Amino acid sequence: MSNKKIWKIFFLAPIIIYVALLIALPLCYILLISFFKSDYYGGMISTFTIQNYIDVFDQVYVSVFLKSILIAGITTIICILISYPFVIAVSHKHPRTQKILMTLVMVPFLTNSLIRMYGWLVLLRKSGVINQVLLGTGIISEPLSLMYNIPGILIGMVYTLLPFMILPLYSSVSTIEPYLLEAASDLGASKIKTFFKIIVPQTLPGLFNGSLMVFTPALGYFFIIDILGGGKMMILGNLIKNQFLTARNWPFGAAISIILVLITSLIILAYRKLGGKMDDLGGA
Amino acid sequence: MKKVMKISITIGCILGICLLSGCSKETNQVVNVLNWSSYIPDSVIREFEKETGLQVNYSTYSSNEECLAKVSSAKEGTYDLIFPSDYMIEIMIKREMLEPLEQNKLQNINNIDSFYLNQSFDPENKYSIPFVMASTVIAVNREHISDDITSYQDLLNENYRNNITLIDDQRIIIGIALLANGYDMNTVNEEELEIAKDWLLKLKPNIKAFDSDSPKNFLITEESDIAVLWNAEAALAYQENHNIEFIYPVEGSALSMDNFAIPKGARNQEAAYQFIDYILRADVMEKIIKSYPYKNVNQATQSLLGPDYLYNIASNIPTSIIENGFYVKNIGESVKLYDKLWAEIK
Amino acid sequence: MKKIMENVYLILVFIFLFLPITVLILFSFNTSSLNIVFEGFTLHWYQDLLQNRTLLESLVNTLIVAGISTIVSTAIGTISAYGLHKYSFKGKNLVNELLYIPVVIPEIVLGIALLSVYTLLKLELGMFTLILAHICFCIPFVIISVRSVLEGMDSHIEEVASDLGASRFQIFTKITIPMLMPGILSGAQLALTLSLDDVVISYFTAGPGANTLPLQVYSMIKTGITPDVNALITIMLGIVFILLTISTVVQLRRLKKEDVR
Repeated sequence: MSNKKIWKIFFLAPIIIYVALLIALPLCYILLISFFKSDYYGGMISTFTIQNYIDVFDQVYVSVFLKSILIAGITTIICILISYPFVIAVSHKHPRTQKILMTLVMVPFLTNSLIRMYGWLVLLRKSGVINQVLLGTGIISEPLSLMYNIPGILIGMVYTLLPFMILPLYSSVSTIEPYLLEAASDLGASKIKTFFKIIVPQTLPGLFNGSLMVFTPALGYFFIIDILGGGKMMILGNLIKNQFLTARNWPFGAAISIILVLITSLIILAYRKLGGKMDDLGGA
Repeated sequence: MKKVMKISITIGCILGICLLSGCSKETNQVVNVLNWSSYIPDSVIREFEKETGLQVNYSTYSSNEECLAKVSSAKEGTYDLIFPSDYMIEIMIKREMLEPLEQNKLQNINNIDSFYLNQSFDPENKYSIPFVMASTVIAVNREHISDDITSYQDLLNENYRNNITLIDDQRIIIGIALLANGYDMNTVNEEELEIAKDWLLKLKPNIKAFDSDSPKNFLITEESDIAVLWNAEAALAYQENHNIEFIYPVEGSALSMDNFAIPKGARNQEAAYQFIDYILRADVMEKIIKSYPYKNVNQATQSLLGPDYLYNIASNIPTSIIENGFYVKNIGESVKLYDKLWAEIK
Repeated sequence: MKKIMENVYLILVFIFLFLPITVLILFSFNTSSLNIVFEGFTLHWYQDLLQNRTLLESLVNTLIVAGISTIVSTAIGTISAYGLHKYSFKGKNLVNELLYIPVVIPEIVLGIALLSVYTLLKLELGMFTLILAHICFCIPFVIISVRSVLEGMDSHIEEVASDLGASRFQIFTKITIPMLMPGILSGAQLALTLSLDDVVISYFTAGPGANTLPLQVYSMIKTGITPDVNALITIMLGIVFILLTISTVVQLRRLKKEDVR
């Protein structure tokens, strides 16, 4: 074998093995078992059936899908609303300050996301810090229900996923040429007009990128629902987790996962159609 | 080049250390225990390790179904000792997932009160030995709730909005809904289940949270004033807050007997026997019961337990309650009905 | 006026971002064990932490997993990014597409998919399966990060070196890697962060003896957290903060130099 060939193998073998064994194989296997039948209590019978996919369209599970999409959608919108003013405000600072501020954004996220959820639990519960402070200052007389409900879940989701919106938005805002904004204000454009006519179109790639990186994980974060939602709600993450770990109906769990993958693929397809680059997604 | 060398040497060192620490772990004799969360205090495990030189790898689950899933999705022999309840023992025996127990390896086996042996799920205790017993109970914070509560139906009271915590266990909670409506807790009749579902949907506005691992915290932090939970959790909540009262509803409670069992192909069976025998010791069981006051089944321990335990109906469950209670039973394929119902409620 | 508004807004967002961890740090010095009201100052929990073997073990496991998966995924990622850039082969497009899967699909799908394959292959769940899973979701991020530098790289330098008689190995280690260093480092940093942060995939792929800090905290959140966990978190945050400060100062110096130029 020529020297050149050996080098080619050296550079390509790891990636091919990796993609085959750790990406293609698991996904194909999930696809395969989604057509299996589950026997009572956990075994799988390797016949071909599409019953699992028919079951997914039961009203119960469709409503789980809708709830998940709603939660993930609201999370994405809140993240957008928080991030836009934030990155614009940051971009008005001196470059050095910008660097420091953006590093500060990342600091809380270098701890584990569960640890941060625990911090919120300490803050939000009935006897938690926020209620104690509000009660102590006499602003409220009865403790507020801040968690074990939808607002609690949303706080957790937004908090966990916010940097995935801030980072791509920031990098696209910082590419806007300052003269564009000056020109707009010279021509008498209102702030709102400048925002929608210049800033939004210029940051569209970052916006799509961020939305994608917020929306899809939000569909699956079962631990936030468990901790801040009090286990009262079921989103896709919990449903899949239950099928694999509690109900032990792997084929059904696999079918739900495959549909989730399809939904994600549709979103990615839209992202690409709109000119998004796949490599930008990994930069967060 | 120097830089690259330096980096690769550092990386090599780190990898070496990691591998070494990984290897050194293997040389110790281990026992892989899979148990309910909040069941055996950490100190008991540490003392066992000190006494025997064995290393305990301890992991937890919060429902029988999760235990089944963990054991059967892991490679055979991964776990050495598990603690499934009654109906799960039956299922595991049927699926040939358990090793027959050699009782002669357990010196302390006679400590177990014979009243709890030879239950229907394992008539000759061939595969399992009772560890503790538990019952569901309603715990109420009397500082905030003074109403008379005697039945599950009383939980539907509109004044309890967002104030009740339930265990996160589908068979138990659906079972309670069935009991509330006068049905068999293990029914597979779809109409009866439909009625149970409607009852739970009516209860839902009152539900603060579903939590299996530590529902007592909801009572202690006064996050909710009512909880349907396992007896020991209620007793522990009482230790923190004496305003808590226990009620065994007239319809009967859900019972559970948790057992030692060794999964098929367990690699460290000798160590598992050592662990079981250690726990069956009167003084060890006493420590466990004092930390997690479930119903004790060890007669040698009973005399060591003080009045705080014996006269508390949440820890020392009265016999009349056990006689009036119901076990979850294996219902086979129909468990799917319960799965779906559970998704509908949540 | 506008400036004040902007500053107020920035401060509000930072309060939101830092509130939960500040509270945890504060309570690590609290005499009461309930994490409810601050009663007095103590270092008691830091002593407790040294006694808590379960917690310390889970920390060691976390560091081992993060360390090994960062090193391995950075190495494989760098080699692969280069290979994919340099060579063409049948199915290259497919490989390129498949690479994005761990980046975009919900983690839970990757978690259960890996779990099922482990079960299929009868792999025993433990440290090995956990590390493999972490390597799996880190590699694509490293590749993307290295690729962004590769695309701007001048390939003539390699050709010149080759013409001057340098071997393939020499070119790769002496020229390519140093040039790719910024991408490799940011890829490694990303891999480390992702590995430390992961909950969902670890939840499905860990087994006995592979209890990591997040999994430990997950079970403790449910059964009641003791303040020694807060102490541990505080120490970890302290270390992270020092490392970040150093790296930021270095980068700021560089920015300053560019300003002067």
